[in-house]
Amino acid sequence: MTLFKPHKMSLARREALAGYAFIIPWIIGFLIFTIGPMLASLYFSFTDYNIIDPPRWIGLQNYARVFSGIPEYFKTGDPRQLGDPLFWKSLQVTLYFASLALPLNLILSFFLAILLNQKVPGVNVWRTIFFLPSIIAGVAVTLLWIRILNPRMGILNPFLQNVLGIQNPPGWLQDPNWSVPALVLMSLWGVGGSMIIYLAGLQGIPTDLYDAAKVDGANAWQRFWNVTFPMMTPVLFYNLVLGMIGTFQYFTEVYVATSGTGGPQRSTLFYNLYLYQNAFRYFDMGYASTMAWILFVIVLLLTALIFRSSDAWVYYEGQLRGRG
Amino acid sequence: MKNKLFRLLALLALASMILAACGGGATVTEEAPSGEAPAPASEAPAAGEKAKVVIFVGFGTGTDPDQVAAQEALAKKFNDSHDNIEMEFLIVPNEEARERFLAMVAGDNAPQLVGPHGISTIANFLDQWEDITPYIEKENYDMSDFYGPATTLNKYPDLNAGLPLGLYPSFIFYNKDAFDAAGLDYPTHDYADTSWNLDALREMAMQLTLDADDLTPNDEGFNPATIKQWGYADTWTDARGQLTMFGAPTKGRPTTDDYKTATFNSPEWVFGAQWLHDGIFKDYFIPDAAGQSAIDADTGDPFGGGHVAIWYSHTWYMSEGLNELPFKYDIAPLFFNQDGERISRIHADLFTMPKTAKNKDAAWEVMKWLVAPEQIVDVCKVYGCLPARESSQEAYLNYMKERYPGIDYDVIFTAIDYLDDPNHESWVPEWGKVNDTLNNAQTTIYTEPELDVTNLMNITNEDMQKILDEYWAKQ
Amino acid sequence: MKRVLNFLPWLFGTVKGHEFLFKGITTLILAAGAVVIMVPLAFMISTSLKDPAQIRSDANTLIPRKPQTTEINGERYNLYQVTVNGISREMAMLKKAPGGMANFVDPASPDEIYELKINEQTPLYRLDIHWENYPEALTAMPFFRYLGNTLIVTFVGMAGMLFSCSLVAYGFSRFRARWLNLLFLLLLSTIMLPSQVRLIPLYILFQNLGWVNTLLPLIVPQFFANAYDVFLLRQFFMTIPLELDDAAKIDGANPLQVLLYIILPQARPALVSVGIFHFLYAWNDFYEPLIFLHTRENWTLAVGLQTFDAIYTINTHLIMAVSVLMIVPPIVLFFFSQRIFTQGVVFSGIKG
Repeated sequence: MTLFKPHKMSLARREALAGYAFIIPWIIGFLIFTIGPMLASLYFSFTDYNIIDPPRWIGLQNYARVFSGIPEYFKTGDPRQLGDPLFWKSLQVTLYFASLALPLNLILSFFLAILLNQKVPGVNVWRTIFFLPSIIAGVAVTLLWIRILNPRMGILNPFLQNVLGIQNPPGWLQDPNWSVPALVLMSLWGVGGSMIIYLAGLQGIPTDLYDAAKVDGANAWQRFWNVTFPMMTPVLFYNLVLGMIGTFQYFTEVYVATSGTGGPQRSTLFYNLYLYQNAFRYFDMGYASTMAWILFVIVLLLTALIFRSSDAWVYYEGQLRGRG
Repeated sequence: MKNKLFRLLALLALASMILAACGGGATVTEEAPSGEAPAPASEAPAAGEKAKVVIFVGFGTGTDPDQVAAQEALAKKFNDSHDNIEMEFLIVPNEEARERFLAMVAGDNAPQLVGPHGISTIANFLDQWEDITPYIEKENYDMSDFYGPATTLNKYPDLNAGLPLGLYPSFIFYNKDAFDAAGLDYPTHDYADTSWNLDALREMAMQLTLDADDLTPNDEGFNPATIKQWGYADTWTDARGQLTMFGAPTKGRPTTDDYKTATFNSPEWVFGAQWLHDGIFKDYFIPDAAGQSAIDADTGDPFGGGHVAIWYSHTWYMSEGLNELPFKYDIAPLFFNQDGERISRIHADLFTMPKTAKNKDAAWEVMKWLVAPEQIVDVCKVYGCLPARESSQEAYLNYMKERYPGIDYDVIFTAIDYLDDPNHESWVPEWGKVNDTLNNAQTTIYTEPELDVTNLMNITNEDMQKILDEYWAKQ
Repeated sequence: MKRVLNFLPWLFGTVKGHEFLFKGITTLILAAGAVVIMVPLAFMISTSLKDPAQIRSDANTLIPRKPQTTEINGERYNLYQVTVNGISREMAMLKKAPGGMANFVDPASPDEIYELKINEQTPLYRLDIHWENYPEALTAMPFFRYLGNTLIVTFVGMAGMLFSCSLVAYGFSRFRARWLNLLFLLLLSTIMLPSQVRLIPLYILFQNLGWVNTLLPLIVPQFFANAYDVFLLRQFFMTIPLELDDAAKIDGANPLQVLLYIILPQARPALVSVGIFHFLYAWNDFYEPLIFLHTRENWTLAVGLQTFDAIYTINTHLIMAVSVLMIVPPIVLFFFSQRIFTQGVVFSGIKG
């Protein structure tokens, strides 16, 4: 009711209320569509739930399964001592993928956006071409890449051999040591999505900032570091956070490319793939939910960390300072 | 002035909700009236109301656009001739079928029938299915026309999962042109010829394996990296499927009869795994993982591309794959194993009834209708299976002969006599987890040139035993 | 490393000659990248024009072709350009023989049989393009029905998303309040929990709302904002200088007017971006429609495409044909939306 009695409010309170008012659509949606399923899955993580029968409360057993056997593992070095070696294997696969895919994606898409922001002839066509891969629906792309990467009949390895002179090109998806890099390669092909966001960011940089820099005698390189880069940090920040969230939940491509197996030799057993197997192949939705919430905590902590660090490197032209 | 703003915002929030409701409301299609909402809880529908039977298609074959159209024709035929039951096919692509089915069950909206699907998904979801024994007994339903094996393959001590629909026996497809080119005689079609064994196959397959320069593994200078045609392949099946032919005491099931002890490392299967590994990395007549993926790529069809001279597979390949092959081919019996035994694995499809489904009586009627002598051939034509009724053999044979002339159909029917029992897809505790564990060993065999196969089989057996122990500890 | 760094200012230098060189290098790099991107696409188009037999035996050829054949005594045989005794002539291959050899004959005189090495002869091909894959793919499903559903889901959803996300992003970027930062993290956290474990409860929720087998689950949630788009818009809103707001506020504008007249016009590239992303997401999404839609009449195009990927059957040519067709509308949309993109923003300070 205070909403309609503004004259008694301080300026700060009024601003706060306006802020809350604008986010009402999300709050309503969150309460209707999101919070329920989230809490339900949190509850499942403390149960034995096969989806078909009602969940049965088992306390922390699912969590214990994940974290048991760690001292024994460190004593013996034998991963089979772990309560669930595949959990750790899948986490390792995911971290490995993230450590390659995330930086490469960020850098490559940024670089492309810079290039595509130049006044080169036919820039609209170039942009469209680089954006193309993100347009195509999943099945077809994965089918194509499986064929292209195939060490025997694909077209990539002959190119590596005959044009680049690489003697023993890798077996890609069929080689346990190269399957994750192969998936990284596939993900880089679709880099146009993040590129577009950078491009939008570049478009949003007011031209008068460049003019001012020019007047101050800055050369192109200085203009890049002193104008372009700082102005792009909010977008970089966005791509970093969402890239991280997405990479940790990487699923569809590997599900299609390996028919849901995570092979060969579990080299592509991603965290979410193993979670999926538990939920829908082993009917252990309780354990899958436990995995989901462990991932949730990991990603949330990392996100909070990035947010903390953002004060130091992300520059907002329209940042609000002070109270709040 | 400012309170105007707040009113505006409150209104805006409200408007956004109303807009949401309207925006959605306008798009509810006319075809989707409230009839789709949760079905009434009562078992027997009220008078004048049709009992709905939704058939969930997606665990096996049946989602191809041609099949979708054929199934709709079947539904129309049924609905035109029944006043009290309405049958509808629900098509879900295979890759998303599990989530969708479980969501429906969890939402108390289970489909009335699921199928056609095989022994593997029936075993994977074993607790899900209604035992149809009471229905059979109540009506004294005549089971005598079905092939014997068809009635037992999906039967467990406490569960008869459904009326048999079709069988998919296995045998080898061979590329006659490849044999001609190698100057070899075709494999025997005589099921009694015991000289047709693993060694004969190996010898034959090595002569049928060619690298880019048309050299065979027997030739000096053969380059395995450039193989363009392999002598033999057994693809599209899992670890249990590939090892079954080597004849362990429990055939296709890697456990003891009480399901408590893992027997994946039985001497027969260790021999089989070693035989496969040698065939891949020593003698080169079996494609490794990369080779398999290459010949599967795009078409999912190892044989049709002409890259495999002898392919071991099932009748389902004949529903679609044999069209327009650019070479001559025929089929022949599977060879005998190292112990002089022939185990020709089989698949058996049917429709099952989820336990929690409503309108079960109507579902039973539809299940009977689908496998009735009047329909079974038509239904099997849609799904590419051999009708499970002996009385339908003639009609089916005529149809197949017209479609693929010049094939020795005796091979197919005799193969049924050599089936694997227990079946390679049959139930074991934690079916999915065990299957993934064993398949991991399979991919290792196909990807690691330097491999201690015995050790791999032993370690995998230990992993499987751990899964079994955990399962039994919970019971 | 140092050398590279020294090189860069030169690369970005202002001298005209350098600029010309820079543009040349840029174009070269872009062209190389474009080749990498276009190769898979070229195969996609090529595969969409082949029949299953061609895909099976001739998958790596870009231009669809079939072996030339000729008829001898009622049987068809493949034709080769064959060199016999130094003379090149067209011959039919009768039969393969051991050692990579084969029997060849001149169709004009079928009795003279030559045994020659296959690898040394050139097979003859003819162009064989299967345009009919496109009509076949389109008629295999009720195309216009699915297109209609897809357009409804896409555009109604897009309107809802733009509307709600603009408001919410504005709330999160331009106001100070104690809980806003925490709420923003909460918003972000909604996309951190793998969707697999939320699927079953969500399905039950929609079923209880009576929304299963309607388009509602795909549309209505869009009206309540989502983390991806709110976050992106927030990032862009926060780059817009506060002086602009202040100037408008001095002129008596309320927060909503600031959003409408100051923020949104400034953030046009961002709005276009989220619009495009939402379009692509809705256009290509098959997972949610598959779970929540029931009867085939309610499907979207992406679901129809997904059904071509059936096990045990060979539809690669149809998958590729539909995929090619489905790229066209997003391309057109993207190509033209670039105009808004490239206008950019001219001013930053209060001088505007």
